[in-house]
Amino acid sequence: MSGAVSGSTVVDRLKAKIGWQGGERVTLVEAGQVRRFCAAIGDDDPRWREEVPPTFVVALASETPDFQEALDYGKGWLNGGDRFEYLEPIRVGDTITARSTLVDVYEKQGSSGGLLFLIVETEYVNQHGRTAVRLRGTRIRR
Amino acid sequence: MMTTPPEVGQELPELVKNPTTRQLVQYAGASGDFYEIHYDQDFARTTGLPGVILHGLLKAGFLAQLVTSWAGAQARLRTFDVSYRGLDQPGRPCRCRGVVRSVVGTTAELEIWTEDPEGRRTTLGNATVELT
Repeated sequence: MSGAVSGSTVVDRLKAKIGWQGGERVTLVEAGQVRRFCAAIGDDDPRWREEVPPTFVVALASETPDFQEALDYGKGWLNGGDRFEYLEPIRVGDTITARSTLVDVYEKQGSSGGLLFLIVETEYVNQHGRTAVRLRGTRIRR
Repeated sequence: MMTTPPEVGQELPELVKNPTTRQLVQYAGASGDFYEIHYDQDFARTTGLPGVILHGLLKAGFLAQLVTSWAGAQARLRTFDVSYRGLDQPGRPCRCRGVVRSVVGTTAELEIWTEDPEGRRTTLGNATVELT
């Protein structure tokens, strides 16, 4: 935990931001972007030439809100986990609108000091106005 | 790809990844996650890490590949949930494993995880797959 800022004060100030929403990010899903993403994972399944692989949506937006209060806490970020819910496939050529919301903030005491948890939900909506994927991410300052 | 219906307790064919720092840079570019702990050794150490570490979401990508290559193109992934429990560093093999925990109708629940060379489970997860 940072010596300069009291943990509880930071947590209270961040809790007041629950409900914060990032801007809408609109992306046309391009074959090249999907191909580079699959190459980075090392997944050469030919089905990903038309459809995107399960974790691809993070490349369309996986914002960690850069609140100064969070940056004042601890020395760095860790990713705690990600939960994906799939409602419709996303295909190359789709236009996806992504928007993130801060849904929870809490603090835990770890073995080597405090941990600050930010829970961010992102919805990925396709050009038909239907939610294709929901992502709930746990980001940790420590 | 699966040829017969899965049975409870059945293991998925293991997927072994050998991530390199080059792959971390490649994933940073492809995903847009440019946090320096994934490619800048000095920066990683200033945050208390032993050196650069794999993106949690890269490990999630490995596990998603484990599941989708097993389930096949006709199956639909419904949920995919992973929790990053330990650090993985490039230059060390990352074993991706899974087991069928339940089958109800055409829905299979899988337990999935990554394992480091010491056998520690560094990522834990679950996936729900619709097999029709």
